[in-house]
Amino acid sequence: MSTFKDLVRVAFNGLFARKVRTLLLLLGPMIGVAAIIASVGLTDSAKGDLKQKVAKLGTNLIEAAASSSFGGQNPTLPSDAVDRALTVTTVEKVSAVVELSNIVVTPYEEAQEKFETVPIPVLGTDSNLPEVLQVDLVSGRWINQFDEESDVRAAVIGVGLAREFDVLPGENRTIELNGISYGVVGILNSVELEPGFDNAVFISFARAELDFLNDDVEPNKMYVRCTEGTEKETSEALKTAVNLGGPQEITTDIKSEALELAAQSDRQLQLIVISMGLLAIIVGGLGIANVMSISVIQRSAEIGIRRALGHTRNIIAVQFLFEAIVVGVVGGILGVLLGMLAIFIGASIAGWVFVMASWLAPAGIVLAITISILAGLYPARRAAALEPLETLRLG
Amino acid sequence: MELSHVSRVYGTGEAAVWALRDVSLVIRAGDFVSIVGPSGSGKSTMLGLLGCLDVPTEGTITVGGEEVTRLADAARTRVRGKSIGFVFQQFHLIPHLDALGNVETALLYRSLKPAERRERAMTSLERVGLGPRADHRPVQLSGGEQQRVALARALVTEPKILLADEPTGALDTKNAANVMEILSGLQSTERAVVIVTHDASIANSAARKISMLDGGIVSDEVLR
Repeated sequence: MSTFKDLVRVAFNGLFARKVRTLLLLLGPMIGVAAIIASVGLTDSAKGDLKQKVAKLGTNLIEAAASSSFGGQNPTLPSDAVDRALTVTTVEKVSAVVELSNIVVTPYEEAQEKFETVPIPVLGTDSNLPEVLQVDLVSGRWINQFDEESDVRAAVIGVGLAREFDVLPGENRTIELNGISYGVVGILNSVELEPGFDNAVFISFARAELDFLNDDVEPNKMYVRCTEGTEKETSEALKTAVNLGGPQEITTDIKSEALELAAQSDRQLQLIVISMGLLAIIVGGLGIANVMSISVIQRSAEIGIRRALGHTRNIIAVQFLFEAIVVGVVGGILGVLLGMLAIFIGASIAGWVFVMASWLAPAGIVLAITISILAGLYPARRAAALEPLETLRLG
Repeated sequence: MELSHVSRVYGTGEAAVWALRDVSLVIRAGDFVSIVGPSGSGKSTMLGLLGCLDVPTEGTITVGGEEVTRLADAARTRVRGKSIGFVFQQFHLIPHLDALGNVETALLYRSLKPAERRERAMTSLERVGLGPRADHRPVQLSGGEQQRVALARALVTEPKILLADEPTGALDTKNAANVMEILSGLQSTERAVVIVTHDASIANSAARKISMLDGGIVSDEVLR
């Protein structure tokens, strides 16, 4: 035990005596471990964020859209698609939207010039949409039954559009849709699934039909909440139920699956960063082997005198190995701290929750030590092989 | 310590060089011996063998009754640590350690408590008059002081034999005299002091002078 303490003490002395050299040695394992920790931690944090999103979204959301098998323009669902969908017993809630094309949206009539150039989607929808998508309103209220049945022109705008039009919360505003004034009754919060909704205007189906369509409303898209666990069956049943032998083809999409698919690409990126970290550690290890080999030559007189003083070959070898191990331990710990800092900064910038698996820190340090030991083996053996008689140059 | 019919050959076959040829020698506790001879006479080889840094090609070496020539490297190293102290011409102090640290190096890996090791090293430094300079590093010490640190390091293990290789070779006259004074005061009933030198005046200050030439001992005279 006291021998062990002696070894550690001598290793520290040796390293402290050559501070710059030691610092350079530390960099390899430090950067390598930091890169690995940061990449795993950041992707875990992103995944944690994704899980939160899925949890918020629920796994039971299905999107159904029409797609024309003939490549026709603007395919639509039948006008009674919502009622048809509700005939599927596992369907709990449905909401539909129709995209209205070529409508010029401006915050007030005189602003045409400025806003014409950017197309703003106008969507006709029903009173169920926020409930089905599980989104809340930043302010005001959603389109309700009363709006659908009365002559009132009420619109809800996305949070992005509200920002662009400088709408203050609670402010009474109107917007112009093809010159027709609509009262803004609410601002919809961001919808994770449909980033486009942030900049969209929502009006009721009834209003859409009266002001912009001359026909029955045929929705483009439906959002369906089904009984938890029946996503696959429900989406199959929906295709048949909504279409009812019509000419359209219905495509369905389970939204939670799409998000998980997005996570797959993150994993590939993680692999790349991890292999880069491993590369850094290996290069760092080669650096340790190289610098320590030179050090053995520089310190050959010291080794010789130690041997003369009764330090055995094994002691000399272990001594050099311990210097490498100390570099590994310190470099590993610093690397873990640096990696954690990187995760913390990355996660706060991206707005994720800090996630770091408990095995990461010990694994990083063990990896650094392993590489250091491997790197220290060769110089240690060379140091031990030195003949004291040759290094001391007797007179 | 006894060398019996010892030879040391470097190289083999026709290129073989006989650095030592059939040398026998006994050094006893209390001896103050100088080994003198021109370069190439074999005195360096002799020093390597006496210090158990090297093994002879032929013959046997015994230290304190133990036949060193039969020991493996690790065991021989331990004999060296226990029984032999070294002082070199170039001091060979470890540059990044202070005087005390250098002396303590000789006591490492001996299951000593740090406090005890420190105390013994300090006592040894005080013995050579360097107590106040214990925290100085070699570069901060004069040549004479460095050699005295090396002496303290050699003595701290209480060796049976103190081997000094040209101990004054790199020193000015004053420091050389000082080191020689310490050396000559070190031989006791417990310890032999052996000085390898080519300096005749130093050789003659010893109690016993062994002269070497061409790998053999030409004379072994008792001066005092």
